[in-house]
Amino acid sequence: MKQIALYGKGGIGKSTTAANLSAALASQGLNVMQIGCDPKRDSTRMLMQGRLIPTVMDLVRERGDAEISREDIVYNGFMGVRCVEAGGPEPGVGCAGRGIIATFQILERLGALHADVVVYDVLGDVVCGGFAMPMREGYAEEVYLVTSGELMSLYAANNICKAISRLSSRSRSTCRLAGVICNAKNIPHEEELVAEFAERIGSFLIQYIPRDQVVQQAELNKKTVVEFVPPSRQASIYRELASRVLENRRMDIPAPLDIEDLERLAYEYSP
Amino acid sequence: MNTPRDSGCTLTGALSVTTEIDGSVTIVHGPGGCAHHNFSLFHTLCIGRDDPRLPRLLSTDLAEKDIIFGGEDALDAAIRKAIEKNPSIVCVLSTCVTGAIGDDVDAICRGFHGIPVISIPTAGFLGGGFRDGHIQALISLSSLAECGEKTLSVNLVGEKTLEFERDEHFNEVKRLLFGIGIPICTRFICRSSMEDISRLSRGSCNILRDSSMCEVGNYLKGKFGTPFIGSFPVGPGGTIRFLEELGAVFSLDVSGAVAAEEARQERMFEEFHALKGKKVQFRDSLGNMTDSEVCSEIAESVGMDVHPAGQPLTVPDPFPVGTEGVRRLLRQWRRACRA
Repeated sequence: MKQIALYGKGGIGKSTTAANLSAALASQGLNVMQIGCDPKRDSTRMLMQGRLIPTVMDLVRERGDAEISREDIVYNGFMGVRCVEAGGPEPGVGCAGRGIIATFQILERLGALHADVVVYDVLGDVVCGGFAMPMREGYAEEVYLVTSGELMSLYAANNICKAISRLSSRSRSTCRLAGVICNAKNIPHEEELVAEFAERIGSFLIQYIPRDQVVQQAELNKKTVVEFVPPSRQASIYRELASRVLENRRMDIPAPLDIEDLERLAYEYSP
Repeated sequence: MNTPRDSGCTLTGALSVTTEIDGSVTIVHGPGGCAHHNFSLFHTLCIGRDDPRLPRLLSTDLAEKDIIFGGEDALDAAIRKAIEKNPSIVCVLSTCVTGAIGDDVDAICRGFHGIPVISIPTAGFLGGGFRDGHIQALISLSSLAECGEKTLSVNLVGEKTLEFERDEHFNEVKRLLFGIGIPICTRFICRSSMEDISRLSRGSCNILRDSSMCEVGNYLKGKFGTPFIGSFPVGPGGTIRFLEELGAVFSLDVSGAVAAEEARQERMFEEFHALKGKKVQFRDSLGNMTDSEVCSEIAESVGMDVHPAGQPLTVPDPFPVGTEGVRRLLRQWRRACRA
């Protein structure tokens, strides 16, 4: 079982990338599970034809955690991708991080965590221990950073590196940085910049995903690109990402940059 | 582990105040255990004092679900339940976990009218201990004081309600005040009613239990303009100075009371003539040598000889209050010296 987690700044396209990656992996005949770890709960929507599935935390709220079965929380989406949404409290109250921890405990108890590939799609910033849960022992061993070439996005990716290097220094930790995915915003020299950033932190650019209208169109049709227009160039890029992820053997402990170095780097590539 | 008296659970400090208010119900907003271990502690203390009452504590009894989704609904329900018991006041204490997840306890409390519902922030992980809970409770509850003309009277502020000799300390201060003709306006807060608390602003001077209550003294000074005396009196000389300080605050001639107290102390020292010439040394409650000034003063007055090889005598913490406190202490020491 391969377990991978996608981390990156909010709004950078993690869920789009994760859903298309899951769809592409499933298209290869793999048994895939995608777990949305964000109270916004929309990670798996495009795999579910636009449906917001009930979240684990919705069910805990309604009936308490003893009354939940696997069928209540795991939903079959496109090509049999099994979808789970952690969910969480209403914005502004409670503790979303604790909600993620509770979700993982419930998934464990129900024995729901099994697949050829489990894809964890995690909220933008690792704001507390709860959101680092997918990086802990027994869960994702490979973390992919999703970033564009924008400074704020690189800044967030660099911050997440700090969490990875902290966790991977623990003796039994097997969590490593597996690569950087550039989800482009179409800024000049973006691919070179992100590739350089990836190398500087001790990793590599595994995939450049150009910006394409078709992503928007697919989303308006409540589908992943892989499902909506399989022959498109964008769909083939997601399939390429899937193949690379499957073959990837890079497992690095990243060395985060300090803020000045990061800004200098972004400046070097500015037009 | 170094465990000074004022450390410990912030909640316990606040509860040592709120449980002293007549007819109060205190809600501990957190997991059941926070209320439970405090309930046990206060219950044991009540039994030890032959007080048959049960501490009126209610827990919101939070579980993981409440932490994830927020505990505010559980608190709202608990306050309603508390109000059904027709209390004089509902005090709401926060705990570590509700502090960590940011439950807005103040806002929930403000939503209730009629019976006062007072929020006291007591999340201990923020760096406080027992003393901070005690102080916080007094500061929060001072909002219940009603404005009114000052009267020729004093308040006792920050009595340590869990102290073994609480009543002896109080009675001694009361005796000294009686000697100069100054009544006690209110005890803030020890065995107090809501009416007592409402009178807080009317006392002309606050007498703090000890220097740890200085923050409360300053707060009340800012809020009601009431000056304060920093501590209950300790030691023979300290007791005399206490009377003189009160005289200065109230512009009273206390020379008669001072002379009477000095005479009382003289008679007391004579009572312990058997200790005269005894070689003694002083130890704190942990058994460490201490050179307490007050002890040296007492030793000198009685005629004991402080010597490194002398009979070890324990200096209690807190030190007993006033002349009568010294008398109790000397009785203990006399037993220790088998004099």
